[in-house]
Amino acid sequence: MSDAAAASLLPSGRIIAVASGKGGVGKTWLSITLSQALSRLGLQVLLVDADLGLANVDVQLGLQPERDLHAVLTGKLTLRQAVSRHAEGGFDVLAGRSGSGALAAMSPERVEQVNTLMRDSAAFWDVVILDLGAGLAPPTRRLAASADILLVVATDEPTSLTDAYAVLKLHATDKPGGDARLVVNQATDAAQGSRTAATLQRACATFLGREIPLSGVVRRDERVRDTIRRQTLLLTRHPNSNAAADVEALAAGLRLQTAFSMLSQSKREVV
Amino acid sequence: MRVRVVHARTMPEAMRMLTEELGPNAVLLSSRRVAGGFQATGGLETDLPEEPLSPALPISAPGGFDLGPTEAELPRRAMRELSAGPGQKDGEAAALGFHGIPEELRTRLLGGPLEAMLSATLRFGRLPELGSRPLLLAGPPGAGKTLTTMKLAARHVLGGGEPPLIVNTDQQRPGAAEQLTGVAELLKAHLAQARNPAAALQAIALRPPGGAVLIDTSGMDPFDADQARLLLTLIATTRANVALVMPCGLDPAEASELGRAFRALGATHLVPTRLEATRRLGGIISAAAAADLVLSEGGASNLITEGLMALSPDWLAERLRRQTHAPPRASPSSPTSAAKPEEPRQNGLLRFEAVTQNGDPDR
Repeated sequence: MSDAAAASLLPSGRIIAVASGKGGVGKTWLSITLSQALSRLGLQVLLVDADLGLANVDVQLGLQPERDLHAVLTGKLTLRQAVSRHAEGGFDVLAGRSGSGALAAMSPERVEQVNTLMRDSAAFWDVVILDLGAGLAPPTRRLAASADILLVVATDEPTSLTDAYAVLKLHATDKPGGDARLVVNQATDAAQGSRTAATLQRACATFLGREIPLSGVVRRDERVRDTIRRQTLLLTRHPNSNAAADVEALAAGLRLQTAFSMLSQSKREVV
Repeated sequence: MRVRVVHARTMPEAMRMLTEELGPNAVLLSSRRVAGGFQATGGLETDLPEEPLSPALPISAPGGFDLGPTEAELPRRAMRELSAGPGQKDGEAAALGFHGIPEELRTRLLGGPLEAMLSATLRFGRLPELGSRPLLLAGPPGAGKTLTTMKLAARHVLGGGEPPLIVNTDQQRPGAAEQLTGVAELLKAHLAQARNPAAALQAIALRPPGGAVLIDTSGMDPFDADQARLLLTLIATTRANVALVMPCGLDPAEASELGRAFRALGATHLVPTRLEATRRLGGIISAAAAADLVLSEGGASNLITEGLMALSPDWLAERLRRQTHAPPRASPSSPTSAAKPEEPRQNGLLRFEAVTQNGDPDR
């Protein structure tokens, strides 16, 4: 039996890739904040900096990791050895390697190795968040296609819309019938965010014949910028902010109940 | 997709602008009233469908399977190339016939000193080290998998290792869990009950890094597709090394087929059991030869503390000649008889080591 077949026995909905196409839409920040929100729901969360060329999760978190994904891929460390605990956030982090051409130009086989690692991580974490890099490079596409859920982050800027659309279009090719969802970030308000989502959803329905559900709208919030500058976490520093509430709602609203209940079922079977 | 956002005093004007910008195939994606009129967003799909990603070639897992057993040393007696006399060969032929060893295999084993031919025909070695991968014990019902699991766990702890994780996937046999529970408590080992491969994997995930893992499975019929599929899934999910636990005394043909079937499912080592209560060993020898399984260690007692005994060509040759599980009697006229290989008895794990030493009477 192949590893893929074996992995199919594991709960789905566990690996969530966060992509955007366009850079600067708040993808990494959302990945971090979503990781914290999910951990607050009682889940064991691993945040993987899968921005293979310009990893910066560690920068936003103020970490100085000596261990990273590259060390795992080169066999120097096991996945568990390379993971750092972010105590404040309550989740684990696997750092990338910023500026590493080796990671950015990974072969399909090496990307499959990452995918296998993520599948193997089912043994240790309930949810794995993959913070994908911007752009549409094949390694990023492969990682997006390997995830159980692809969250596509967009803003109301036309360039963001077109790039998010491109991501969704490629995902439809790479993983027909895959679970892709929208998150609108930096929205003026909920209504504006919904309109932005509707625009993208209409394009996907018209051109791709694909219905893309909206998972959440995160309102623009100056306190987000404050936390990024301070290399801290929004849910810790500004727990009552609009953006914090929106991400918590996003985490709670993600339809992971099935996967979580399956995980819980498995864990109950373990003495 | 091309996107264009336009502003106009009226919607028809906005639509006209979009058509001018994007062409007649433009699609209105959204519109809304804004100060001074309307804002409309149009889109046009121009790109051809994307090419699918090229498939990745399979690559071997880091580290790969490391199943190579430690090669058993060639018995010193065999290295001397002793030529057995015709009387001795006749006796060995009769002995192999007594054990029910198939003719072809018997002929091969009689082609030279029995110890040497056993060494050349079969593979001997220890079970894989615990720690790098889980060790999964599989086999037909009633083979002694649970007892073997407990013996290995005890040996690991008494040998100075951290208490292992014992994963019990045998949810069918009444009492299997209870059997393991008592031993696990005694050894301060972690015991997990797993009803399916995913649960087993979850349990393994909770162990300390590098910790030893033993997986006890329910007795299964490898010729049953559903049961075989379940075992395959368990092995693939846990990435375990697999040892086939098989009782001595099975019909050689049946044992050979069982061995081959379990080999096909991933077994690499053979742990014969009931050595203390079975006279004929043709079954396990046939299975090891037919399936190229490593004859590793054997069970010769129902007592956990007696552990497993190492199997060697010397010991096996002596046991075949003896034609009985009863230990050799010490002869008053033969003061050296105490040095002959014998079945392990009451000295537990210490005895395990002693048997290893005694496996070669020349030492």
